[in-house]
Amino acid sequence: MKKDILAILGIILIIAVIINGTEIQSVDEYYLTHIDDITPESETVFITIRCDTILDNLDALDDNLREFVPPDGVILPKTEYVLRNGDTVFDILDRAVRYNKIQMEYQGAKLNSFGSVYIQGINFLYEFSCGPLSGWMYRVDGEFPNYGCSKYELKDGQSIEWIYTCDLGQDVGAEWFNNLGGQNK
Amino acid sequence: MKEAIKMKKVLAVFICIALIFPALNSLFAKAESVADKALEIANDVINWKKTDVGSDEGGFLLNNSLLELAGSTAGDWYPIGLSRLGKDDNFGGYLAVLKDNVEARYKEQGKLSSAKATEWHRIALAVLAAGGDPTNFGLDESGKPIDLIADGTFDRGKTTSLGRQGINGWIWGLIALDSKWYEIPESAYYTREDIIKEILRQQLSDGGFALSGRNADPDITAMVLQALSPYYNSEKRYSYTLKSTGKEVEKTVREAVDEAVECLSELQLGTGDFKSWGTENVESTDQVLVALCCLGVDPLNDERFIKNGNTLLDGILKYKMSDGGFAHSFTFDPENPAAVPNSSNSMAGEQTLYTMAALWRFENDMRALYDFRPEQSGALKERISLLETGISEITEATSGEKLTELLTAFYSLPENERSYVDGYWALSDMAKEKGIDIEQIAENTVVETFEENDGETEDVIFSESDKRAAEALPQKLTTEQYVTVTALLDKLERSKDFEGKARYLEKLSRAKAEIASVQSEIDSINSEILDKLYPYDNITLADKKTVDEIYARYEALSEYDRAKITGSDDLVKTKTKLDDIFRGIIIALVLGVVAILAAVFLCIRIRKRRRKKEREMEELAEMYKDE
Repeated sequence: MKKDILAILGIILIIAVIINGTEIQSVDEYYLTHIDDITPESETVFITIRCDTILDNLDALDDNLREFVPPDGVILPKTEYVLRNGDTVFDILDRAVRYNKIQMEYQGAKLNSFGSVYIQGINFLYEFSCGPLSGWMYRVDGEFPNYGCSKYELKDGQSIEWIYTCDLGQDVGAEWFNNLGGQNK
Repeated sequence: MKEAIKMKKVLAVFICIALIFPALNSLFAKAESVADKALEIANDVINWKKTDVGSDEGGFLLNNSLLELAGSTAGDWYPIGLSRLGKDDNFGGYLAVLKDNVEARYKEQGKLSSAKATEWHRIALAVLAAGGDPTNFGLDESGKPIDLIADGTFDRGKTTSLGRQGINGWIWGLIALDSKWYEIPESAYYTREDIIKEILRQQLSDGGFALSGRNADPDITAMVLQALSPYYNSEKRYSYTLKSTGKEVEKTVREAVDEAVECLSELQLGTGDFKSWGTENVESTDQVLVALCCLGVDPLNDERFIKNGNTLLDGILKYKMSDGGFAHSFTFDPENPAAVPNSSNSMAGEQTLYTMAALWRFENDMRALYDFRPEQSGALKERISLLETGISEITEATSGEKLTELLTAFYSLPENERSYVDGYWALSDMAKEKGIDIEQIAENTVVETFEENDGETEDVIFSESDKRAAEALPQKLTTEQYVTVTALLDKLERSKDFEGKARYLEKLSRAKAEIASVQSEIDSINSEILDKLYPYDNITLADKKTVDEIYARYEALSEYDRAKITGSDDLVKTKTKLDDIFRGIIIALVLGVVAILAAVFLCIRIRKRRRKKEREMEELAEMYKDE
């Protein structure tokens, strides 16, 4: 009788385990597969990708690129991502476009003289796609840094915007443009 | 340029004194030292860059790690700087890898770039620097020779505007076109005049040029001067509509250039350097120095470019670092320490390197930085120098006859050599003042031809060390050997015949094909990852086979090649997730089987017990039956 009770308990236990899920992971595996899960403790950053300036300059745009300009100019609405240790603006952009299957092309940091990754195109919209002064710029918490995106290390809570400019930043409010000492007389 | 003449005179006096009095040799040495100084600065940059790319001082700067950058902005300026300084380096290797790069990119849509014509221009200059021919550089997909000059300059308009990327396209297009005074065929899309006018019409009201806006940018202004310098001595008048004001203007290149030079002089800071985009930096200063050298203006002695006693060279040296390299600027951003401003930087290094080449060439009376024609013959140089002396002696009192004689001497020079006559403007101004018809003299003068100072091409020899390098290739090839194999194969193809050449050809060709297939495997894995792995949350066990396949292909790569897989961490992550799910299912199955077995066992036991009990009852019943 005792054996029966044990067997019944055993069966109940097994069924409970199966219902509860049998995915058993080591700590490393758990960390690896949950690295991007947002929890109350995780440090996060936000990223947006927009190209609304093109909407005002559609005549300058390559005709065959029109289909890549969303009607509201938003390619990626504000999205939150976990900030991994040492993440740069480029790392977050790369993750965001991969996870959302947005096309992106960049030149590696080694291949240009700036020593930073250079973003050539996002969503098939490239530098010079909309006039000679057009291309991708980024700002963090509203400021335009004047160095490459793979050199900008992020902090918790920062907000990145990738913005397409059609006028070397002037149309998106890049302040440094109005601030050229010695050149603006 | 008046100052240039003055300086030449002073220099001539110095030289005479030095020759007469050997004791004054120190003075002579002082006058000579600018070229030495330029060379010294250049050598320091070269040694800094050698350390940067992991080459030792005795080795080549164009080593395998730099060759990997062939065809990119980070690579191409180094062979240009080195070659224009007359340095010996691994130019053959650079050319081989660059050609492979160009051939591969010509297969893509848009070829070298869909928007940036400057890709053609920079590469064409690098090809020339490394001793190649940009009009015949590799083959396109249909087997036709690639002509970087035609595709990148006069025929660029057949694809897209040369100015698609802005004024840079016109500037560098003209520089590339004039790098060897390439002839433009009748069928071309642009003429030289089109390009020159397109540049001129972008002049701003302050005399300078910029990518955008109304204020001169020193870099762009200086680059315009570099491009227009071959036309400085031309009397041709161009009519065009200014882009900024819409006004109709008629000017010679010289008039526009003089305004731009003035503008640059005004922009120079008290420390000798320049500000661009609000930041004091070395590259702007580099570009201005190159521009003055191209124009034949003595860059370190012209008063317009000395501020508080600081010359352009002082302005450049301000940015020199203790390792021999140059910093871009000293502006430090405390918000982001990851971007280090005051340490040696690649762009600052490469621009300073070729600027020193320009200065060294100017001091040695050689061709301008981007003029890749063979050096002028001694006879031609002598003629020009004689003419320059004549011009420097012009005063109000110089007779019309003398002026005509000088003009005739000027117009007897080949047209594309006339830009090397420093101070021609003084002759032109005086002749116009005296009512001399320059145009008529130009028309009536017979142009003489001068022998070209052509260098002989040497035989290429596939050396013993090349053979050893070919033998030393590992059994399993990776993209790490790409540069070595490409350079060796190219050299072998050009080399003289020797015993065993066929064997080496076969070995290296096979190696190259193998590496190409590894590269296409890398590309294919990269696009598979992009295509199949995202979004991560949608991955289910149904994708396991695909992910395992990609992972197996990834694992099959060498460690070096694996580093070229982007998103490999996502691949590992996805595989781990699926493996975990899979393992969970296996565990659940095993547990399920155990539970079923236990249940079955239990049932059997219970039934057995029941039967036993029944039997016992029956037996008991049997026993008590009789009672």
